[in-house]
Amino acid sequence: MDKYSRATIREFMSPSNIGSIDDPSGTGHITDNADSVELTLFINVDAAGHITDAKYRVSGCTALIATLSVLSKELPGKAIEEALTIDMPYLSSLLEGLPESKWRCAGYAVEALHLAIEDYRSKTP
Amino acid sequence: MERIVYMDNAATTPVDPLVVEEMKPFFTEQFANPMTYMHSSMGDVAYTAVENARQRVAALIGSHPEQVIFTSGGTEADNWVLKGTLERATRERLHKPGHLVTTEFEHHAILHSALALQRQGYDVTFVKVGHEGIVDPDDVRRAMRPTTVLVSVMHANNEIGTIQPIAEIARVAHEHGALMHTDAVQTTAHIPVDVDALGVDFLSISAHKFNGPKGVGILFVRDHGALYPFIDGGGQEWGLRGSTHNVPGIVGLGKAAQLGRERLPGELKRLTGLRDMLLDKLSSRIDGIAVNGDMKQRVPQNLNIRIDGIDNEPLLLAMNEAALIAAGGSACTALETVPSHVLTSIGCSLTEAKASIRLSFGYFTTEQDIEYAADVIPGLVRFLRAMA
Repeated sequence: MDKYSRATIREFMSPSNIGSIDDPSGTGHITDNADSVELTLFINVDAAGHITDAKYRVSGCTALIATLSVLSKELPGKAIEEALTIDMPYLSSLLEGLPESKWRCAGYAVEALHLAIEDYRSKTP
Repeated sequence: MERIVYMDNAATTPVDPLVVEEMKPFFTEQFANPMTYMHSSMGDVAYTAVENARQRVAALIGSHPEQVIFTSGGTEADNWVLKGTLERATRERLHKPGHLVTTEFEHHAILHSALALQRQGYDVTFVKVGHEGIVDPDDVRRAMRPTTVLVSVMHANNEIGTIQPIAEIARVAHEHGALMHTDAVQTTAHIPVDVDALGVDFLSISAHKFNGPKGVGILFVRDHGALYPFIDGGGQEWGLRGSTHNVPGIVGLGKAAQLGRERLPGELKRLTGLRDMLLDKLSSRIDGIAVNGDMKQRVPQNLNIRIDGIDNEPLLLAMNEAALIAAGGSACTALETVPSHVLTSIGCSLTEAKASIRLSFGYFTTEQDIEYAADVIPGLVRFLRAMA
């Protein structure tokens, strides 16, 4: 049976790091009307290229909210190249297994991270 | 165990304890096959119980007992009437593919049966539905053809609860020489259902929607000669539906029908009051709330609302965490993450459809439950909106 783990539900009911960052190093924004998803991920990166903070605002499904929550806790302290290796199988494992039917929607979290890093790189000489 | 406030009665209802009591002996002591009644006193007990149940169902819908044919539920009844009438008329009268008229927002038991007929070469027209969730009989009239065998329009929609003008649509069908079917799964025992007043030739009922057991229903068949059997077998049900009778289930259906008939006037008034109370409270506590479908032509046990800026999936899950159970689309599509075909058929955008929840009430819903829902839902809406 394809269903949410208790870990996913706990994460969704008490999500970490919701909010925005003023003047962030990078921003990833996604809108998808078909999936009723609107998502912005903000990251701050220090001079050494390490992520120091991650926050997000989201309207979307349970899987996406829970995935963003665990992702935002994973990012601080990671180098950009390291952050880029975070993928859905890894995030799913942090949630004790996300139903595969929800991976596509939850995948917007990873996509937003890549957009935020791209934005950071475009602004960084 | 934590008390659960259950507001998903359109999906299924709890079996009434009085129904369970009446069913019990037919699992154990009175287990005989009713078809053995001629030579077995035990068989006669089972046979008599089945016929009593048939009379109780007939009394509920104003039919003759022999027009009540037991099935495994609403889905079988819907499949049977569509396939049985189309096949019979095509082979014996038309000698070319017959035509079915139905609507875009039917239950999947009808929609998918209609699509199956279409794959087999039959003609099907899916009539559009208005913004209020009501089918216009003139739209049905425009869909009629000389080869139209059957018109099938649900009595009330399973997601938005809107009641359809079945008597008028039946007149249109009959004027064009077609038969009329209605899926009354959401209305039976909730609002008056009378096969003559509705003017229908066929009507589907499912026991578990009105405090009976799952796995049993009926197809009302006005004229046994109008359709081929769907399940061929040992000649039960006048040769129209083979298979050993599900005696406990049929007995349960009969008891639920009797209770439903007795309770209907009081429940109609009580549930209408509770539903309107919940809508008033939610509307005063949540901004950006709207009702899907007409509020007047609606079964008393249904409230379907959309809430701006909300995705129903996390809202329903958060409600579940607060021990309040409701639904997004119908239970039959709960595994799919697609927006409701019913809501998109009445003009809702994909976003609006995904922002909608169905709260459906029943005999065991109390005013305390309504107060609880009115307290819990606004807080969860604020919780989700605060993330955006």
